[in-house]
Amino acid sequence: MISFTINGKAQMVDVEGDTPLLWVIRDLLDMKGTKFGCGKAACGACTIHVDGEAVRSCSYAVKYAEGKSITTIEGLGTADNPHPVQQAWIDEVVPQCGYCQPGFMMATAALLNKNPNPTDEDIDKNIINVCRCGTYYRMRKAIKKAAEINASTTTNS
Amino acid sequence: MKKTLFLAISVCIMLASISLVTARYSPNEDLPPEVTKESSEVTSTEEESEIAFNKMMDVLTHQRCMNCHPSDNVPKQGEDSHPHRFDITRVNSMNATNCNTCHQASNNDYSGVPGAPEWSLAPEKMYWEGLSRIEIAQSMMNPENNGSRTPEDVMHHLTEHELVLWAWEPGVDAEGIPRELPPVPVDEYIEAVKTWIELGAVIPTE
Amino acid sequence: MGISRRKFVVRTLLGGTGVMLGAAYLGRNSIRRSIYDLMDDPNMLSYMGDTSNPLMWFEISNDNRVVLHSPKVEMGQGSFTSMVQMAAEELEMDISQISIVHAETSTGNIDGMSTGGSTTIAGFWQPLRELSATMREMLKSEGAKKLGVDVSTVTVAKGTISGGGKTLTYGEIVDGVANWEIPETPALKEPKDFKFIGQPVPRVDLIDKVIGTPMFGMDATMPGMLYGAIVRPDRIGAKYKSSDISKAQGMPGVVKIVQESDFVGVVANSMVEAENAKKAIKAEWQIDRKWQTSDIEAAIKVGKGESMIIQKEGDAGGVLKDDQEGVITAEYKSPIGAHAQLEPNGALAYVEADKATIMMSTQVIQLTRSEVAKRVGLDEEKVNLVPTYLGGGFGRRLHTPNAVQAAVLSKAVGKPVKCYFNRKEEFQQDTFRPPTHHQLKGKLDGNGMIEAIEHSFASGDVMFNSAMVPAIAGTILGADIGATRGGRIQYGAIPNHRAVSWHVSLPFATSWWRSLGLLANTFAIESFMDELAIQASKDPIQFRLDHIQDDEAGRRLKTVIEKARDLADYQDTANGNKAMGFACSTDAGTPCAHVAEVTVEGKEIKVNKVTCTIDPGYAVNPDQVKAQSEGCIIMGISASMFERMFVDDNQLRPTIYGPYKMALMKDAPKEINVEIINGTGKPGAVGEPPLGPIGAAIANAVFRITGQRLRDMPLTLA
Repeated sequence: MISFTINGKAQMVDVEGDTPLLWVIRDLLDMKGTKFGCGKAACGACTIHVDGEAVRSCSYAVKYAEGKSITTIEGLGTADNPHPVQQAWIDEVVPQCGYCQPGFMMATAALLNKNPNPTDEDIDKNIINVCRCGTYYRMRKAIKKAAEINASTTTNS
Repeated sequence: MKKTLFLAISVCIMLASISLVTARYSPNEDLPPEVTKESSEVTSTEEESEIAFNKMMDVLTHQRCMNCHPSDNVPKQGEDSHPHRFDITRVNSMNATNCNTCHQASNNDYSGVPGAPEWSLAPEKMYWEGLSRIEIAQSMMNPENNGSRTPEDVMHHLTEHELVLWAWEPGVDAEGIPRELPPVPVDEYIEAVKTWIELGAVIPTE
Repeated sequence: MGISRRKFVVRTLLGGTGVMLGAAYLGRNSIRRSIYDLMDDPNMLSYMGDTSNPLMWFEISNDNRVVLHSPKVEMGQGSFTSMVQMAAEELEMDISQISIVHAETSTGNIDGMSTGGSTTIAGFWQPLRELSATMREMLKSEGAKKLGVDVSTVTVAKGTISGGGKTLTYGEIVDGVANWEIPETPALKEPKDFKFIGQPVPRVDLIDKVIGTPMFGMDATMPGMLYGAIVRPDRIGAKYKSSDISKAQGMPGVVKIVQESDFVGVVANSMVEAENAKKAIKAEWQIDRKWQTSDIEAAIKVGKGESMIIQKEGDAGGVLKDDQEGVITAEYKSPIGAHAQLEPNGALAYVEADKATIMMSTQVIQLTRSEVAKRVGLDEEKVNLVPTYLGGGFGRRLHTPNAVQAAVLSKAVGKPVKCYFNRKEEFQQDTFRPPTHHQLKGKLDGNGMIEAIEHSFASGDVMFNSAMVPAIAGTILGADIGATRGGRIQYGAIPNHRAVSWHVSLPFATSWWRSLGLLANTFAIESFMDELAIQASKDPIQFRLDHIQDDEAGRRLKTVIEKARDLADYQDTANGNKAMGFACSTDAGTPCAHVAEVTVEGKEIKVNKVTCTIDPGYAVNPDQVKAQSEGCIIMGISASMFERMFVDDNQLRPTIYGPYKMALMKDAPKEINVEIINGTGKPGAVGEPPLGPIGAAIANAVFRITGQRLRDMPLTLA
């Protein structure tokens, strides 16, 4: 048995320890927002947070999640209460096919946690997921917008 | 606390727990005499040291080690030591997308992503890429570069650290093909490192 | 259901084409060319499915919501949003009152062809508005009955019908109505009255895509679902012979190993267990010969294979004879390209004794259903294909043998089976963009005007390798209308111009890739136009304008060119390591022009800004036209600057993102300025045309900075 917290809820799974966390999340826990793109930690579609750090879950053995806190796109925000990154994505109408977008939003949320006001170069160095529809142009605008939303909510609170 | 930063600091502390460098380690003086290999029965200390040195360096100059000791802050990958895909640089090791975004404490056979405890680049001063064997050894033994390690510390690092020993269990690549092992078996390598250090860590001149 | 008094035309491509092909079969080249012209005409954008019955399209619930069932799929192109706009307009409802889903084939609302070719919005412009208006009239008529008033006295607003001082919602009206009468097609709204059409309405799938709602084929589940994996060859031309399954049998989680005449697969309790067991199966393949990149490059050459003159005006052949003085020639090449869409191909299939259900991402709903039905021995009507959102299409999902394989596995175990490609298979089993070779010839007259130009180009299959088209089409047509997209000379004022297509089928699958031949053909022609302009010492934009004929297409092309020039403030000389490059193209009736602002540092080319002008005829949703243009520009940068598949000892490589280098965030321009021109008032193609000019625009800028003329994709500085 492996125990961890996922999106705030305690969870126990009975699964072989080397199983990629991605498949535990998608197939065992039936949360489909985290995507399979390559299974090789190359595309970033499966990016989640483990203890606040961006992690590519296709390349993360579930045994390492023991005792840790996991956040997926489902835990980032909701339709009624979107995370600032999701709000920025909505404002800029970023997604096209949408498949890679959860991974990008998770990577962006992790970036903004560490670097609330990233420069273009910071964005280029940290957001290295793959999008085939070519939404990068709007994503860059949304990342900056999310930083603004974060800044304004911090100031107001 | 940033995990990578924590790792980097802990490595530095480890490297810093250091004492003296022996008098024998002075590469520019006391050049060892040329040894002719006529008899294998009567082996001089110098010869034994040099054989051990070469064996050790056969390993340290292998891509399994070299790939993470870059001179340009760009980690290398694969048997051909190509620059890490997706333009990963040392900057990433302190960033939101860092080594541990993909690399964990052990190899991942599903993704082919290699992993070991403290997976990270060697510190900037510890670059080996582009150096000769002798220059690598000089740098490795130089307390200014190696975090003030004594030869004994170096010996422990080279023979016990899991990230170093990962080289003999490097796992499979993205296509499931096993990575190439260093050219010397791990036991022989460990013995060679110990012998070389015990014999005074003499770095040959040529 | 009442009897339709409307005359709705039901068309299918296969029927229609069959007639055309039959007439053409015995024809000479010129007749073949006119058939070819017909098939390449923008009018081919018409929708080909049943539009006779609004009740097949609209589901109205008692809570006054309308669900629009779309026979076209949403793969990112934004057409669902435009469709809702069109429906809302004529239904007199708010956008928020309408949802849109993919029509399951069991509804009978089935697209006769495919989602692709930038045809969806153009094809729906008339029929979907007519369907919506008809539905509204039906609701009015039933509403008037319920209100007890004459239909001519009722008013319609926001999904309600009012009359005689009372108001009923559509939801209340539909309650209990058993027989609907379908009236004559009502008149459609005048554009001046549009409330939603023409507005930048946010995507209707935006929230779902931002919060991670399960919506893609790979997200589909069914109770009791198992997981499948197919053993696929990693060598070109490998045909399955046999397999040794002894090691895989009894592995953890394995339910059954399925050996068919043409493949072997495994069904297991989880995806991981299925993949693990698959690795333990030893398959034997028959491989006839070994291929290398050099073999492929040698095969795709102008002068090899079958040829057809696809365009001929004047006597280009005579003017451009090799021994003539002043003939300028240049050769261009493009490599094999992968689709690399993020969601792999696969399907969830449940084949029962007398019916089957398939849930998946496909661009060819009818074809997929028919292939599955045939293989599992059911009537087509017994197979319900449930289309999902596509995690990228780009033409990759116009071939779907994966659905058949999933169905076979499901039939073997009697349970739902979900079976997907892994990424290596996705790269190696792709239906690639074929490599191309182009030979351009041109001659200037004494005034620096083009006297003659010729584009000869060689390509692998695009359309010819499609199950959507009868196999005989290749023999009859001569030219592959996919490969020839953008291959003709768009400068009609050049007195002598000619385009010749050469075709060779390669030993691996090549087929539809977003914009088809347009990307490579425009790269070649528009680079060469730049070479000629420089040779003539003329401004490259004025040079192009001077060669455009004065007809409607010409005038629209001129407008986008002039607009792009003015918006970008085009400068023809480099400023240090920065310069602008220009190119334009017309695809499926949509002219588009790009000015790329490029920097060269060392050997690195960087695109800083792109100004794009596009005339899609009419933009139903200007924001999504912009999004498609931005996406095409970035995908075009990726394809023309980075991407390339190799054939290495019979293997297609690379097999993963990274080694298959693609544009990332850092490679995307920081500024993309898209200007839309509504040139005709009628929507045309959008999703592909802006891919055309980008490669040449970049190469033309690079020439101004470095003096190097880059004639091979991916663009690489020496």
